[in-house]
Amino acid sequence: MRFLFYDAITTIEKARSIEGVKTFSLSEEFLRNHYSRSACVPGVIFVEAMAQLLGWLITYSSDFKMSAALILLEGVAVPSHMRPGFRAEIRGEIVSSSRRDTMGKGEIWVDGERIAWIDRILYGHFESIAPGELKRMYEYYSGKKTVHED
Amino acid sequence: MRYLLIDHILYWEPDSTIVGVKNVAMSEDFFEFHFPRFPVMPGVMMLEALAQLTGWLHAISSNFREWFLMDRIIKCSFYGFVLPGDQLELKLTVLETPLEGRRVYSGMGTVRGKKKVMAEFQGRVLPLDELEDPEEQRHNFNVLAREIRF
Repeated sequence: MRFLFYDAITTIEKARSIEGVKTFSLSEEFLRNHYSRSACVPGVIFVEAMAQLLGWLITYSSDFKMSAALILLEGVAVPSHMRPGFRAEIRGEIVSSSRRDTMGKGEIWVDGERIAWIDRILYGHFESIAPGELKRMYEYYSGKKTVHED
Repeated sequence: MRYLLIDHILYWEPDSTIVGVKNVAMSEDFFEFHFPRFPVMPGVMMLEALAQLTGWLHAISSNFREWFLMDRIIKCSFYGFVLPGDQLELKLTVLETPLEGRRVYSGMGTVRGKKKVMAEFQGRVLPLDELEDPEEQRHNFNVLAREIRF
Protein backbone atom coordinates (compact mmCIF):
# COMPACT_ATOMS: atom_id res chain seq x y z
CA MET A 1 0.00 0.00 0.00
CA ARG A 2 1.24 3.47 -0.84
CA PHE A 3 0.38 5.63 2.13
CA LEU A 4 -0.89 8.51 -0.01
CA PHE A 5 -4.46 9.68 0.38
CA TYR A 6 -4.83 12.20 -2.39
CA ASP A 7 -4.62 11.64 -6.15
CA ALA A 8 -3.91 15.21 -7.18
CA ILE A 9 -3.63 18.71 -5.79
CA THR A 10 -5.96 20.92 -7.80
CA THR A 11 -5.27 24.35 -6.31
CA ILE A 12 -2.76 25.70 -3.82
CA GLU A 13 -2.39 29.23 -2.51
CA LYS A 14 0.75 29.82 -0.52
CA ALA A 15 0.19 30.24 3.25
CA ARG A 16 -3.59 30.16 2.75
CA SER A 17 -5.33 27.13 1.26
CA ILE A 18 -5.10 23.91 -0.66
CA GLU A 19 -7.55 21.68 -2.51
CA GLY A 20 -7.15 18.18 -3.84
CA VAL A 21 -9.04 15.09 -4.88
CA LYS A 22 -9.01 11.45 -3.89
CA THR A 23 -11.01 8.66 -5.47
CA PHE A 24 -11.85 5.72 -3.22
CA SER A 25 -12.05 2.42 -5.07
CA LEU A 26 -12.90 -1.09 -4.00
CA SER A 27 -9.30 -2.07 -4.77
CA GLU A 28 -7.86 -0.08 -1.84
CA GLU A 29 -5.56 -2.30 0.19
CA PHE A 30 -7.03 -1.27 3.54
CA LEU A 31 -10.42 -2.72 2.59
CA ARG A 32 -8.99 -6.25 2.74
CA ASN A 33 -9.68 -6.33 6.47
CA HIS A 34 -12.16 -3.49 6.77
CA TYR A 35 -14.42 -5.48 6.58
CA SER A 36 -14.92 -8.89 4.94
CA ARG A 37 -18.75 -8.64 4.85
CA SER A 38 -19.05 -4.90 4.24
CA ALA A 39 -16.34 -2.72 2.67
CA CYS A 40 -16.10 0.61 4.45
CA VAL A 41 -13.44 3.29 4.34
CA PRO A 42 -11.80 3.63 7.78
CA GLY A 43 -12.59 7.00 9.36
CA VAL A 44 -8.92 7.73 10.05
CA ILE A 45 -8.17 7.62 6.31
CA PHE A 46 -10.30 10.75 5.85
CA VAL A 47 -8.30 12.40 8.62
CA GLU A 48 -5.02 11.40 6.96
CA ALA A 49 -6.21 12.74 3.58
CA MET A 50 -6.83 16.20 5.09
CA ALA A 51 -3.60 16.01 7.13
CA GLN A 52 -1.47 15.11 4.09
CA LEU A 53 -2.76 18.01 2.01
CA LEU A 54 -2.30 20.54 4.83
CA GLY A 55 1.19 19.14 5.44
CA TRP A 56 2.05 19.85 1.81
CA LEU A 57 0.60 23.35 2.08
CA ILE A 58 2.94 24.11 5.00
CA THR A 59 5.94 22.69 3.17
CA TYR A 60 5.05 24.48 -0.08
CA SER A 61 4.53 27.76 1.80
CA SER A 62 8.08 27.56 3.19
CA ASP A 63 9.57 26.94 -0.27
CA PHE A 64 10.22 23.35 0.85
CA LYS A 65 12.53 24.45 3.68
CA MET A 66 10.16 23.05 6.35
CA SER A 67 8.41 19.76 6.98
CA ALA A 68 5.33 19.43 9.19
CA ALA A 69 4.49 16.84 11.83
CA LEU A 70 1.04 16.33 13.31
CA ILE A 71 0.73 17.35 16.98
CA LEU A 72 -2.98 17.82 17.72
CA LEU A 73 -6.46 17.09 16.34
CA GLU A 74 -9.65 18.59 17.76
CA GLY A 75 -13.27 18.55 16.67
CA VAL A 76 -13.02 15.81 14.06
CA ALA A 77 -16.00 14.18 12.37
CA VAL A 78 -15.76 11.31 9.87
CA PRO A 79 -18.30 8.94 8.34
CA SER A 80 -18.16 5.66 10.21
CA HIS A 81 -19.49 3.44 7.45
CA MET A 82 -18.91 4.76 3.93
CA ARG A 83 -18.63 2.33 1.05
CA PRO A 84 -15.90 2.98 -1.57
CA GLY A 85 -16.82 4.12 -5.07
CA PHE A 86 -16.80 7.89 -4.64
CA ARG A 87 -14.64 10.90 -5.41
CA ALA A 88 -13.75 13.13 -2.50
CA GLU A 89 -12.82 16.80 -2.69
CA ILE A 90 -10.39 17.66 0.08
CA ARG A 91 -9.95 21.23 1.28
CA GLY A 92 -7.54 22.67 3.79
CA GLU A 93 -6.84 26.15 5.16
CA ILE A 94 -4.14 27.64 7.33
CA VAL A 95 -5.75 29.47 10.25
CA SER A 96 -2.60 30.80 11.93
CA SER A 97 1.10 30.22 11.73
CA SER A 98 4.18 31.02 13.81
CA ARG A 99 7.85 30.15 13.49
CA ARG A 100 7.29 26.92 15.44
CA ASP A 101 3.88 25.68 14.36
CA THR A 102 0.83 26.02 12.12
CA MET A 103 -2.87 25.67 12.96
CA GLY A 104 -5.25 24.68 10.21
CA LYS A 105 -8.64 23.21 9.45
CA GLY A 106 -9.93 20.87 6.80
CA GLU A 107 -13.01 19.35 5.24
CA ILE A 108 -14.02 16.72 2.70
CA TRP A 109 -16.93 16.98 0.31
CA VAL A 110 -18.58 14.21 -1.71
CA ASP A 111 -21.34 14.97 -4.23
CA GLY A 112 -21.92 18.41 -2.71
CA GLU A 113 -22.16 17.14 0.84
CA ARG A 114 -19.60 17.79 3.58
CA ILE A 115 -18.85 14.33 4.95
CA ALA A 116 -15.79 14.95 7.14
CA TRP A 117 -14.04 17.83 8.84
CA ILE A 118 -11.32 18.82 11.29
CA ASP A 119 -11.96 22.00 13.28
CA ARG A 120 -8.38 22.31 14.54
CA ILE A 121 -5.24 20.57 13.34
CA LEU A 122 -1.86 21.61 14.67
CA TYR A 123 1.52 20.84 13.09
CA GLY A 124 5.01 21.35 14.45
CA HIS A 125 7.64 22.63 12.02
CA PHE A 126 10.87 20.83 11.28
CA GLU A 127 13.75 21.98 9.15
CA SER A 128 13.70 20.09 5.88
CA ILE A 129 16.63 17.72 5.35
CA ALA A 130 16.49 17.94 1.55
CA PRO A 131 14.36 20.78 0.12
CA GLY A 132 15.21 19.84 -3.48
CA GLU A 133 14.01 16.30 -2.96
CA LEU A 134 10.84 17.49 -1.21
CA LYS A 135 10.11 19.77 -4.16
CA ARG A 136 10.52 16.92 -6.62
CA MET A 137 8.24 14.73 -4.49
CA TYR A 138 5.61 17.48 -4.33
CA GLU A 139 5.63 17.84 -8.11
CA TYR A 140 5.34 14.10 -8.62
CA TYR A 141 2.63 13.43 -6.04
CA SER A 142 0.57 16.56 -6.59
CA GLY A 143 0.71 16.59 -10.38
CA LYS A 144 1.60 20.29 -10.21
CA LYS A 145 4.73 22.20 -11.12
CA THR A 146 5.91 24.58 -8.44
CA VAL A 147 5.54 28.15 -9.59
CA HIS A 148 5.84 30.55 -6.70
CA GLU A 149 4.31 34.00 -6.67
CA ASP A 150 7.52 35.55 -5.34
CA MET B 1 -1.18 -4.74 3.49
CA ARG B 2 -3.26 -6.36 6.18
CA TYR B 3 -5.12 -3.54 7.88
CA LEU B 4 -4.68 -5.06 11.33
CA LEU B 5 -3.24 -2.65 13.87
CA ILE B 6 -3.30 -4.81 17.01
CA ASP B 7 -0.80 -7.65 17.42
CA HIS B 8 -1.47 -8.79 20.96
CA ILE B 9 -4.21 -8.27 23.55
CA LEU B 10 -2.73 -8.34 27.04
CA TYR B 11 -5.67 -7.67 29.34
CA TRP B 12 -9.36 -6.77 29.34
CA GLU B 13 -12.31 -6.22 31.60
CA PRO B 14 -15.64 -6.43 29.76
CA ASP B 15 -17.36 -3.05 29.22
CA SER B 16 -14.53 -1.28 31.00
CA THR B 17 -10.97 -1.48 29.74
CA ILE B 18 -8.59 -3.29 27.38
CA VAL B 19 -4.83 -3.23 26.83
CA GLY B 20 -3.15 -4.21 23.57
CA VAL B 21 0.13 -3.96 21.72
CA LYS B 22 1.10 -2.82 18.23
CA ASN B 23 4.60 -3.84 17.19
CA VAL B 24 5.97 -1.31 14.74
CA ALA B 25 8.15 -3.05 12.14
CA MET B 26 10.37 -1.47 9.51
CA SER B 27 8.49 -3.63 6.99
CA GLU B 28 5.23 -1.66 7.51
CA ASP B 29 3.90 -0.36 4.21
CA PHE B 30 3.23 3.10 5.59
CA PHE B 31 6.92 3.80 6.18
CA GLU B 32 7.64 4.02 2.46
CA PHE B 33 5.86 7.37 2.24
CA HIS B 34 5.75 8.43 5.87
CA PHE B 35 8.29 9.74 5.40
CA PRO B 36 10.86 8.98 2.70
CA ARG B 37 14.25 8.63 4.45
CA PHE B 38 12.64 9.42 7.84
CA PRO B 39 10.26 6.61 8.84
CA VAL B 40 7.79 7.55 11.61
CA MET B 41 4.50 5.85 12.40
CA PRO B 42 1.60 8.01 11.14
CA GLY B 43 -0.43 9.47 13.99
CA VAL B 44 -3.69 8.34 12.41
CA MET B 45 -2.45 4.74 12.46
CA MET B 46 -2.14 5.04 16.24
CA LEU B 47 -5.73 6.28 16.26
CA GLU B 48 -6.75 3.35 14.08
CA ALA B 49 -5.04 0.97 16.51
CA LEU B 50 -7.11 2.50 19.33
CA ALA B 51 -10.29 2.20 17.24
CA GLN B 52 -9.57 -1.47 16.50
CA LEU B 53 -8.84 -2.15 20.16
CA THR B 54 -12.23 -0.59 20.95
CA GLY B 55 -13.80 -2.99 18.47
CA TRP B 56 -12.17 -5.91 20.26
CA LEU B 57 -13.44 -4.69 23.63
CA HIS B 58 -16.98 -4.50 22.25
CA ALA B 59 -16.66 -7.93 20.69
CA ILE B 60 -15.47 -9.65 23.86
CA SER B 61 -17.98 -7.73 26.02
CA SER B 62 -20.94 -8.76 23.83
CA ASN B 63 -20.00 -12.39 23.19
CA PHE B 64 -19.03 -11.38 19.62
CA ARG B 65 -22.35 -9.76 18.74
CA GLU B 66 -21.11 -6.13 18.48
CA TRP B 67 -18.33 -4.07 16.93
CA PHE B 68 -17.40 -0.40 17.23
CA LEU B 69 -16.84 2.19 14.49
CA MET B 70 -15.31 5.57 15.32
CA ASP B 71 -16.97 8.69 13.90
CA ARG B 72 -15.88 11.57 16.20
CA ILE B 73 -12.48 12.48 17.60
CA ILE B 74 -12.99 14.95 20.39
CA LYS B 75 -9.29 15.51 20.94
CA CYS B 76 -6.11 13.66 20.03
CA SER B 77 -2.58 14.74 21.01
CA PHE B 78 0.67 13.26 19.75
CA TYR B 79 3.91 13.35 21.76
CA GLY B 80 7.12 12.64 19.89
CA PHE B 81 7.63 10.03 17.21
CA VAL B 82 6.95 6.29 17.16
CA LEU B 83 9.75 4.66 15.19
CA PRO B 84 10.46 1.29 13.56
CA GLY B 85 11.29 -1.24 16.25
CA ASP B 86 9.04 0.39 18.86
CA GLN B 87 6.36 -1.51 20.73
CA LEU B 88 3.31 0.69 21.17
CA GLU B 89 1.24 -0.31 24.20
CA LEU B 90 -2.34 0.93 24.01
CA LYS B 91 -4.79 1.22 26.87
CA LEU B 92 -8.44 2.06 26.43
CA THR B 93 -11.03 3.05 29.04
CA VAL B 94 -14.78 3.53 28.74
CA LEU B 95 -15.67 7.10 29.71
CA GLU B 96 -19.44 7.20 29.55
CA THR B 97 -22.43 5.94 27.58
CA PRO B 98 -24.55 9.02 26.88
CA LEU B 99 -26.81 7.71 24.12
CA GLU B 100 -28.18 4.38 23.03
CA GLY B 101 -25.78 2.69 20.62
CA ARG B 102 -22.98 5.22 21.17
CA ARG B 103 -19.85 5.06 23.34
CA VAL B 104 -17.12 7.46 24.45
CA TYR B 105 -13.57 6.26 25.07
CA SER B 106 -10.28 7.55 26.33
CA GLY B 107 -7.15 5.93 24.95
CA MET B 108 -3.43 6.29 25.54
CA GLY B 109 -0.43 4.86 23.75
CA THR B 110 3.04 4.54 25.28
CA VAL B 111 6.44 3.29 24.16
CA ARG B 112 8.71 2.07 26.97
CA GLY B 113 6.52 4.00 29.42
CA LYS B 114 6.69 7.28 27.47
CA LYS B 115 3.39 8.76 26.34
CA LYS B 116 3.04 8.97 22.55
CA VAL B 117 -0.68 9.50 21.96
CA MET B 118 -3.75 10.49 24.00
CA ALA B 119 -7.20 10.48 22.45
CA GLU B 120 -10.83 10.92 23.35
CA PHE B 121 -13.21 9.67 20.71
CA GLN B 122 -16.70 8.34 20.20
CA GLY B 123 -18.62 6.28 17.73
CA ARG B 124 -21.44 3.88 17.20
CA VAL B 125 -21.95 0.21 17.80
CA LEU B 126 -22.96 -2.13 14.99
CA PRO B 127 -23.94 -5.78 14.90
CA LEU B 128 -20.68 -7.62 14.28
CA ASP B 129 -22.27 -10.05 11.82
CA GLU B 130 -22.90 -7.14 9.41
CA LEU B 131 -19.13 -6.63 9.15
CA GLU B 132 -17.41 -9.95 9.83
CA ASP B 133 -18.12 -13.60 10.55
CA PRO B 134 -18.50 -13.55 14.37
CA GLU B 135 -16.97 -17.01 14.83
CA GLU B 136 -13.95 -16.00 12.74
CA GLN B 137 -13.57 -12.88 14.89
CA ARG B 138 -13.80 -14.98 18.05
CA HIS B 139 -10.97 -17.13 16.71
CA ASN B 140 -8.94 -14.02 15.83
CA PHE B 141 -9.47 -12.62 19.31
CA ASN B 142 -8.23 -15.87 20.83
CA VAL B 143 -5.13 -15.66 18.63
CA LEU B 144 -4.48 -12.05 19.73
CA ALA B 145 -5.10 -12.89 23.40
CA ARG B 146 -2.93 -16.04 23.21
CA GLU B 147 -5.90 -18.13 24.27
CA ILE B 148 -5.36 -20.72 21.60
CA ARG B 149 -2.95 -23.62 21.48
CA PHE B 150 -0.75 -23.69 18.39
